[in-house]
Amino acid sequence: MKDVRVWFTKDDECRFISHLDLNRCMLRALHKSRIPIWHTEGFNVHPYATFPLPLSLGFRGEKECMDIRLVEDYSYSDIKDKLNSCLPTGIRVYDVREPVMKAKEIAFASFKIKLSCEDISADELFKLTNELLSKDEILVDKKTKKKGVREIDIKPYFSDTKTERNIGGVIIRCTLPAGSVTNINPLLLQKAFEKYYDIDVYFDVTKKELFDKKMKAFE
Amino acid sequence: MINKDVEKILLKVQKPGRYVGGELNSVIKNKDEVDVRFAFCFPDTYEIGMSHLGMKILYSLFNEVPYIWCERVFAPWLDMEELMVERNIPLFALESGDSITDFDFIGFTLQYELSFSNVLNMLRLANIPIKSCDRKELSRIVVAGGPCACNPEPLADFIDIFFIGEGEEVDLEVIELYRQCKKDNKSKDEFLRLASQIKGVYVPALYDVEYNDDGTIKSFTPRDNAPEKIEKRLMMDMDNSYYPENFVVPNIEIVHDRAVSEIFRGCIRGCRFCQAGFLYRPVREKSVETINKQCHTLCNNTGYDEVSLSSLSSSDYTDIIGLLTTLNTWADSEKVSISLPSLRVDGFSDDILEKIKTVRKSGLTFAPEAGTQRLRDVINKNVLEPELMETCSKAFNSGWTKVKLYFMIGLPTETYEDVEGIAHLAQKVVNEYYHCENKPKGKSVTVTISTASFVPKPFTPFQWYGQNNRETLMDKQLHLKDTITTKKINYNYHDADTSFLEAVFARGDRKLCRILEKACEKGFHFDGWSDCFSLDSWLEIFDECGIDPDFYALRDRDYDEILPWDFLDYGVTKDFLRKECEKAYKDTTTPHCRLKCSNCGANRYGGGVCFERR
Repeated sequence: MKDVRVWFTKDDECRFISHLDLNRCMLRALHKSRIPIWHTEGFNVHPYATFPLPLSLGFRGEKECMDIRLVEDYSYSDIKDKLNSCLPTGIRVYDVREPVMKAKEIAFASFKIKLSCEDISADELFKLTNELLSKDEILVDKKTKKKGVREIDIKPYFSDTKTERNIGGVIIRCTLPAGSVTNINPLLLQKAFEKYYDIDVYFDVTKKELFDKKMKAFE
Repeated sequence: MINKDVEKILLKVQKPGRYVGGELNSVIKNKDEVDVRFAFCFPDTYEIGMSHLGMKILYSLFNEVPYIWCERVFAPWLDMEELMVERNIPLFALESGDSITDFDFIGFTLQYELSFSNVLNMLRLANIPIKSCDRKELSRIVVAGGPCACNPEPLADFIDIFFIGEGEEVDLEVIELYRQCKKDNKSKDEFLRLASQIKGVYVPALYDVEYNDDGTIKSFTPRDNAPEKIEKRLMMDMDNSYYPENFVVPNIEIVHDRAVSEIFRGCIRGCRFCQAGFLYRPVREKSVETINKQCHTLCNNTGYDEVSLSSLSSSDYTDIIGLLTTLNTWADSEKVSISLPSLRVDGFSDDILEKIKTVRKSGLTFAPEAGTQRLRDVINKNVLEPELMETCSKAFNSGWTKVKLYFMIGLPTETYEDVEGIAHLAQKVVNEYYHCENKPKGKSVTVTISTASFVPKPFTPFQWYGQNNRETLMDKQLHLKDTITTKKINYNYHDADTSFLEAVFARGDRKLCRILEKACEKGFHFDGWSDCFSLDSWLEIFDECGIDPDFYALRDRDYDEILPWDFLDYGVTKDFLRKECEKAYKDTTTPHCRLKCSNCGANRYGGGVCFERR
């Protein structure tokens, strides 16, 4: 038995596949590809696959990964090609490797976000973005599974955020806590725009990379 | 493909995956290289429409033709519709993301009467005039087919062309004609006249209807050489009929998320309430080899690990054991499970059970349809109480503890005794459980009764019957509820209001077009969903238009009345239906097609069960 980590991108129409549906979609592709993977042995036998860090609905993902377990040796490049022929085009496998780190070591994720707003000009949006990010505190409501809604200050998480004015609008880049302990969703900033400026800003979010707590790239 | 306007609203709605396309096996073509763009519209949500087999067959068939690009369109759910209207985004097709406003064909499949409001609403959302006469140019031809096309009249003002019967051939013939007419610069009227000459095509605009003073039909007359009788189309050689090798595999969960193979069309039984049992005669089977090949190919191409054998009554397939044995030569080792829906009470054999090991233990469903033997004879269900008991005991002895039983309320000749019979039958099933020696230890039994209200349908022996009014139906439901004395029996009943409106449209005529037009103006949609349906709002419209809905639903019709659908010919003769109706009122059953031919008229197609060796 051998653990392998499958790396893929999730974009285009497939951005709108929820995590639960992505799981089913991958299982179907694994079934169709006939890659010899380990099946769970419970009541409802199914191919085993786990996702180290789920991607939010609507986000693009450049470095997504899924862990599977092979029951016999199988060429990594065949896994890649076979899965690609069984998946919708919005999901592309680009690499298959042995996992180096454990899923729970993930501590940060970096994002690139394209901001646009129909109600104000790009210049204004750029100005507002910088103004928002330079506030002493940015208070927004965060939904938690256990405690319901709670107000938190997201300013500390966005302190290193870089902003950029580009042809189409505004681009920001940030690195936020991610993983099993703390998770900060970049869309909390969208809520801050709504709360502080009463504007509806469209966030086109791309998750770029994953890191461990020492900011070493997740492998 | 997602268009830019849609992209911005996707994260504001539930289940955005419904609106984006991009699924495995969806067909993308270059729009500049096709002559005909066809919008295949299912007037309900993505999850329901994507589960529909007919759409899968026609989608693949159309796209096999290089000059056609067929795309899928579904009704946007309430939240999405609101945002689309607010932002002026017209209804779009999933493959290209393009608005369907200027497509060549807008095709609807009519699966249930309560989706009629969605048909019109989808045209409205696409910025297409809903009335046929307001669409003057040879473009965006609105066509419709499916079971509800067997009484097309309530939609006569809106649909340019109805396809009568099975669509595999006639649809392509009409599309090809359109392509020719377009090349020759013909007008829409010329195209419709030519189309009306194709067998299986009904062009409502070419017929005039006159009414008697009492509102019934006086005459129904074709114009411009259109045929007086329109014969249904059907595929006689199922082994050589087109069947897709590929299904679009949805990225989000849908209602029936599995591969499907049709094992036969039609049904030998002739249950008198069942419209499908008459519309799709005669029974035509696919061979074991064909089904086996289709199932295997589909599973390989989609990645599905479940295949369902679809038909109106699966255990009536002549070689069901041989079929299951053949499928199991690969299904087991490839971890594919086989499911067999629509099992009859008398078709639940040990042999079948053994072959479909994966039947989920959660529940078994049977449909005795009526509570007493007399009433089951009236409807020609031909299920005997001992058969039901034997089947339930088999199920209990192999570990099941839950059984669901489906019934209808409001059937012709039904008395309160028949209604009580439902509760008594369920009680006997409960008792049967306690007599089973191998029942699961220490577990109790649950019998769930569901009743639907009977809706008389065209082309059935009950097409003349006046439906029970809502008060009677509700009274019968309450009476049944009171008759049940044990907590081991659960009772669910279907809302009588929807059944009433269904009955109105099922047997309506052209006068109802005004009702649907008004409903569309008022923004009615999703009437098949309790989220939206309100009978009171519909009754208001009937009131405003001065039309009495009871005339359509509740009135007993004379045998010699001209029925709105009389000009359609589904193979079964009116004379046969009348004889069946008379037999029903004498509590007399009719044997099924394999026991004895009852001369329904379908043998003139020259094949299928009518010519099987007995």
